[in-house]
Amino acid sequence: MTSPQPVLHRAQALLATGRAGQALTELATLPANEVTGSWAMQLRCAALSQLDRWAEVGDAARAGLAANGPDPDLLLWLGRAEHEAGRDQAAERALLDGLALAPNDADLLCSYADLCAANGQLDKAGKLVELAAAREPHAPVVYATRIQIAHARGDDREAQRISREFVGVHPDNPVAHALLGGTSAARGHIDTAYEGFRQAAAARPTEQVFAESALELRVARHPLMLPLRPVLRFGALKTWLVAVAGILLLRAIGLPVLAGLLGFAWLIFCVYSWVVPPLVRKRVRRGWS
Amino acid sequence: MNDELFSPTIRDQAPPAKRPWRPESIVYPAFFGGPLAAATLGVLNGRRLAVPTQQLLLIAGAGLVGFGARLTVALLVESNSAVRLAGTVCGILVWLVVLAFQRRPFRVAQLRGVDAKSLVVPGLLTAIGLGLFEALILALVR
Repeated sequence: MTSPQPVLHRAQALLATGRAGQALTELATLPANEVTGSWAMQLRCAALSQLDRWAEVGDAARAGLAANGPDPDLLLWLGRAEHEAGRDQAAERALLDGLALAPNDADLLCSYADLCAANGQLDKAGKLVELAAAREPHAPVVYATRIQIAHARGDDREAQRISREFVGVHPDNPVAHALLGGTSAARGHIDTAYEGFRQAAAARPTEQVFAESALELRVARHPLMLPLRPVLRFGALKTWLVAVAGILLLRAIGLPVLAGLLGFAWLIFCVYSWVVPPLVRKRVRRGWS
Repeated sequence: MNDELFSPTIRDQAPPAKRPWRPESIVYPAFFGGPLAAATLGVLNGRRLAVPTQQLLLIAGAGLVGFGARLTVALLVESNSAVRLAGTVCGILVWLVVLAFQRRPFRVAQLRGVDAKSLVVPGLLTAIGLGLFEALILALVR
């Protein structure tokens, strides 16, 4: 008979490198009485979640809970699966049941914070993640959740700041690079953003989202997009204000022709910024696939 | 001490019937179309994002005030380009109101996995349609 421990360790190692399919194959070699053990079920849930098979994550978590009784880690997976399925009320019940057993569990606190944020309860989400940060300030899940909430609040600067900290503490974590990529893109720091997603995609080539985002940033770095850099960098509003102020100033100092020319150039620029990006995106995508 | 944090507050919500537009994108039709275009798209998008009715009314009100301001400029100033510029400025100001109310709900919707819908075609139609409508009214009153 196979001893369960080495199998579980091998499955865990495979998961850590993003090879979820192989981890599932490994778990399938467990003897029948070990399959529903709490740790085996957690690994199964983690593998299925990496493969985006969330309905099965929910089934596995429920089977594990039926076999092992209340277990905060399995309740965490059940909560995540219910949230993915859009049943947020059931998700909340599972996460709160988990928190009743393990009130200081950073994963549970962060998942609950995510759930609250997705329901627009950003203040509660912020308080929950603060609790998690007080327990485990450098846990990747805490960083990731803080970034999500800052982004949802519209605080792009803070989101990018936390991402930088995340990458600094976990330089090998692909999610950290991807989040730095995403938050930099939101602030128009195109090169940092591309670098973030490139590193994330290189560290975990199986993750479609990273490659997708790296591709999107390749679009932003295309030469035809160069004229749009100011808009991406400073945001539409500031760029527009400068242009309008420029036009008004030229007119005020008695140069209506120049003001007209600037206005016309600005109009062309706006049309360009509206029409060109979708075309470049199509072009880059064709070259990519 | 954390009793309040650990008590349930979530109710299941139906997913939005129509995918929202990115509120930042409304800047383009606002620039080209003016305040009424910005407000119209803002109200339509606000309904998609299920923002409170009071905020929808404020956006609609901002659109009317913006158009009123443009009308005033048109009555006071002779030059055509000033009237055009007033349309752009008022459009952008209305867009700022839209953005203030819709940035958060849009990002929360994104957290729920809702993707933005393209604004290119509806944006163009609104900008042209309401831009012309504003121009027509201005031509009538001057």
